[in-house]
Amino acid sequence: MEFKDYYKILGVERDAATEAIKTAYRKLARKYHPDVSKEKDASERMKEVNEAWAVLGDPEKRAAYDRLGAGPQPGQDFRPPPDWDQGFEYSGGERGFSPEEAAGFSDFFSEIFGRMGRGGAAGTGGFSRARAGEHHARILLDLEDSFTAPTRQISLQSPKVDDKGRLTLETRTLNVKIPRGIREGQMIRLAGQGAALRGERNPGDLLLEVGFRPHPRLVPDGRDLHTTIPVAPWEAALGAVVPVDLPDSTVNVRIPAGAEPGRQLRVRGKGLPSDPPGDLYFDIRIVAPPAETPKAREAWETLKSESQFDPRKEWRARA
Amino acid sequence: MSDKEMELLEGACLTLEQLCAAGAIERAWLVERVEAGLIPASGGRFAAAALVRVRRMREIERAYEAAPELAALVADLLEEMDALRARLARGR
Repeated sequence: MEFKDYYKILGVERDAATEAIKTAYRKLARKYHPDVSKEKDASERMKEVNEAWAVLGDPEKRAAYDRLGAGPQPGQDFRPPPDWDQGFEYSGGERGFSPEEAAGFSDFFSEIFGRMGRGGAAGTGGFSRARAGEHHARILLDLEDSFTAPTRQISLQSPKVDDKGRLTLETRTLNVKIPRGIREGQMIRLAGQGAALRGERNPGDLLLEVGFRPHPRLVPDGRDLHTTIPVAPWEAALGAVVPVDLPDSTVNVRIPAGAEPGRQLRVRGKGLPSDPPGDLYFDIRIVAPPAETPKAREAWETLKSESQFDPRKEWRARA
Repeated sequence: MSDKEMELLEGACLTLEQLCAAGAIERAWLVERVEAGLIPASGGRFAAAALVRVRRMREIERAYEAAPELAALVADLLEEMDALRARLARGR
């Protein structure tokens, strides 16, 4: 087992006051906030920082942790001495961390603190209070799955209390038939597939929140799909029919003559195959071909001399 | 798995109990914030997006000992950022 140096993780001295530890935790919680952090491993670091705070921010846990000493030399395996935690009384609670979060902490945390309250009235200590018969997970699907309705194998990790009273993460695999036309924000409810944290006979339901992995060309918005089609200047001016590949078909999209970028056009019923189906919205992006050959250059020159077009008229008119 | 065991939920579909259970949060914590108008509910039910919102609010409250109103304000800003990022992706 790898020893976790919680003081090092939070960047504080071993004799730091609780206030200083709290300040360090808050700074790091801001730095690694998964919604805004630019750091690559933000969510992993956030987990580590939360774990360190769950221990060092709690006087009982910190005292017990300090008794373990500074840990072994780097690279050495760590084993807690027998009965190291004798004489400590834990009141449970994980500084507001849910059982799912606490179960996601390291093996070290689980070994040292997961046993708290064993044999006592508290059961699994702080983990039992927020225990729930229902479980929630987010699954990421490919956009194509909404069209092909495949059966997907998903792996879920849920907290489980082992026979020694320790909280661990159990991985289980489920086969889920994805309904056709599924879209982001919907949830799949699987009856009786929820977590049974303390071995209940009737586990609750499992709620799967659906999200899509990014698609290279299509962006879903509810039932609808959005895409931007690159067109040549003459296709925008004269109109064109452009084939667009969708996951289950190819649709011939008609670009109207005089089309301009920034104006959304719609093909009815070509979004996600929900009931009713969504629409396909597209915008155009005009790509100018380079004047690479003398002939191409001549064609551009002709257009320039023939056209009265002033691309900056509206721009100049802006107050 | 039969169709009976599987159901597709959408819109404001979650009950208070389901939201508590799925988000691993305490009922009293949630009720207090719903009554204060910090977590939108429609006819006593919640959209799937409420799950992300309660998780974000709880994290902000916990990490900074923040007032629920401040956590809700941060959640509002993050939701607006999500919407703008999605709009940016659509306009690509």
